[in-house]
Amino acid sequence: MLGLVGPNGSGKTTLLECLSGLLAADGGRVARDGRPIAPSERRDALFYMPDGILPWADQSVAWILDFSAALQGASQSDVAEITRALDLAPFAARRAGTLSKGQRKRVLIALALLTPQPVLLLDEPFDGLDLRQIREVSPLLRRVAATGRALLLSIHQLHDAARVCDRLVLLSDGRVVGEGTLDELRARAGRPGADVEEVFLALT
Amino acid sequence: MPSPNDAPWRRLLDKDRRELAASWAWLVLLVLLGPLVGHAFITAVDSYAEASGASGGPAALAQGLSPLDGIVVPTFGAYAIAVTLLFPFVAIRLVSSEKQSGSLKLLLQSRASLGVMLFVKLFVVVGAWLLAWLPGLAALALWRAYGGHLSSAEVATVLLGHLLRATLTCALAIAAASLTDNAATAAVVTLALTLGSWALDFIAQVRGGVALALDAYTPESALRVFESGEIRLAIVIVTLLLAVAAMALAVVWLHPGRTWRARAIGTAVVIAAGAVTTWLGAHVRASCDASEDRRNSFAPADERALAAIRDPLLITVYLAPEDPRLADLERGVLRKLRRTMRDVDTRYMARGGTGLFARPGEHYGEVWYAIGGRSAMSRSTTEAIVLETIYSVAGITPPTPDGAPAYPGYPLAARPRGAGLLLYLVWPVVVIAAWWWSKRPRQLPLLTSS
Repeated sequence: MLGLVGPNGSGKTTLLECLSGLLAADGGRVARDGRPIAPSERRDALFYMPDGILPWADQSVAWILDFSAALQGASQSDVAEITRALDLAPFAARRAGTLSKGQRKRVLIALALLTPQPVLLLDEPFDGLDLRQIREVSPLLRRVAATGRALLLSIHQLHDAARVCDRLVLLSDGRVVGEGTLDELRARAGRPGADVEEVFLALT
Repeated sequence: MPSPNDAPWRRLLDKDRRELAASWAWLVLLVLLGPLVGHAFITAVDSYAEASGASGGPAALAQGLSPLDGIVVPTFGAYAIAVTLLFPFVAIRLVSSEKQSGSLKLLLQSRASLGVMLFVKLFVVVGAWLLAWLPGLAALALWRAYGGHLSSAEVATVLLGHLLRATLTCALAIAAASLTDNAATAAVVTLALTLGSWALDFIAQVRGGVALALDAYTPESALRVFESGEIRLAIVIVTLLLAVAAMALAVVWLHPGRTWRARAIGTAVVIAAGAVTTWLGAHVRASCDASEDRRNSFAPADERALAAIRDPLLITVYLAPEDPRLADLERGVLRKLRRTMRDVDTRYMARGGTGLFARPGEHYGEVWYAIGGRSAMSRSTTEAIVLETIYSVAGITPPTPDGAPAYPGYPLAARPRGAGLLLYLVWPVVVIAAWWWSKRPRQLPLLTSS
C-alpha cells in the first residue's frame, strides 16, 4: 500500500487521473513489469476511484452495486461480501443521493473493491469517514492488498497515511519531495523519532 | 430483470432506462405532450369538420380532403415542437449528468466501450421517444373512432419522418453534451444548431443554389417530405449518416483522457468521412410515394411514358428562388419528374433579385426543356402543360389517360369528443402516477447472502 501524501493542491488527484488515463498527461509513462501501458490500455491494469463523485444519485445503493459488479465482472457473492465488510446493508435500499458523506464514501470504496484490476488508485479513501469507520476500512484495505493487489491511496491527512500505508510518496507543488517508509523519510529528513507531520514539513 | 452474466450493453441499457425514468426532463416532456398533442388534434378535427361542410358551411373542398394533411400532419406537428424545444434536454441530461456526477469516470474504466455506451443512450432515448408517441397514436385512434379515414402507409411515412428527425436530434444532443462541459452549454449548442437550420431554410428560400441543396437535409425540410407522403431514400440515408457522424464526434470528445491533438484528428476524420458518405448518400434517387392521392407522382400512363424517355432531360429555369412560381413548379412538376425519369438535370439561372427595384433578365419567367438536342420553352408551372411540352420535345405522343379512379377525399364533420379529457387530463395524470410508482422503494436483491 503506497500513500500519496501532500497538502491540497499538491497534485495528488491530477497524478492519479493521469495514471488512470482519464486525464491526458504532458509527459511521463506508466509501466507494469517494465512494459509501458498506453492510456487506452490503463483500464486493464488500473482502476481509479475519484473523490467527491456521486454516481447515479437517483438509483439505490443496492442497484449501483449490482450494476457495477455486473459491468466489472464481479460475482454476486463478491457483492455480498463487500456489502457485509463495509456494512452497507442498512442503507442499501436508499437512493445514493440521500446518503451522508461517510456512507457515500463507503459505497465508493465498495465499487472500487468490486473491480478486477490489479492496481487500485483510491483518491482520499478516508475523507468523510469518522475515526471508527477509518479503523474498520483500513484493515479491509490491508486484506485486499494481502491478496496481491497494489493500492495507491491519495491522502491529505498525514497521520491516516502513516497509519495505513507501507510506503509514502510526499508531493508538494506537483513534485515528489520524498519517497520511502516512514523511517526512511525520517532518516532523510534527519529527524529520527519525529512524527509524519514534522517529517513532511522538514522535507518541503 | 437483467442477470449478472448479461453483456455490458444490456446492463447499460437497463441503467440508461432507469436514469431516463428518473429524470425530470423526461417527466416534463411526457406530461406536456398530452396538452400539446391535444390542442393540435382538437384544432385539426375542428378545422377538418369546417372544411367538410359542418355547421352548414360550403363543402366545396370536401372531395379533396385528405386526413394526411388535415389530421395526421397537424396532430404530429406537436411532436415537431417537442423534438425541437424539449427532447434535446432529455438526451443531454443522460450524458451530462454522468459527466458531472463522476459516473462517466467509473464507466470508462469498465469493460464496456465508449461507443457502446453512447449508442445505448441513443437507443434508449429514441425508444423513449416512441413511447412519447402514445398521445399522438391515441389521437389517431380517436379519429378512427369518430369514423375518420386513415391510410396506414401515410401514417407510417409521417411516423418514419418523425423517428428520423428524433434520431438526428438525439444524436446531435448527445454530441453537444459530449463536446461541452455542462448541460446548459450543451442546450445552447443544440438550440444554436436548430436556429442555424432555420436560418439555412430561410436563406435557401431566398438565395437557392447550394443553400437549397443543403436545406433539403435539414430536419425541418426532411420532415416536410415525409409529411407529403413521400419516402425519399436519400433523406433517410443522409439523416442516418449525420446521426452516426454526430455519435462518432461524441465518441471522440467524451473521453476526458484524449489529448487535444487526438480530438482534432478524430474530428477531422469524422467530418471528412461524414461529408463523403453523405454526399454519396444524397445521390441515391430511389423514392416511394406512399400518399393515397399519389400527390408525388404523375398519372400511371404519364409515368410509363416519361420512364420510356432514354435521353437526359435538361431543364433550365429562369425563376428566382423566392418566386412563388418556382415553388409551384418544384412541388407540382420537378419533384415528380426527378422521381420518374432516369436523368433529369435542373439548372437555376436566376439568383434572387425579383424585388420591387430589381430588374429581371430578358429570359425571366421562362423554363426551357431540352432532350437530345431539341428544346422548347414554357412559362407554365401547371403539370399538364409542362408534360405536354416535354412530350413534344421528346417527340412522343402524349399517353391516353388510364382512367384510374380519382382520389375520393374523406370529408368528415366530427366533433373531437373525449379528446380534451384524454389528452389534457388523463394522460398527464397517468404519466405522473406512473412516474411516482416507478420511484417507490423496491424489493432488493439479497445483498447479504453469501
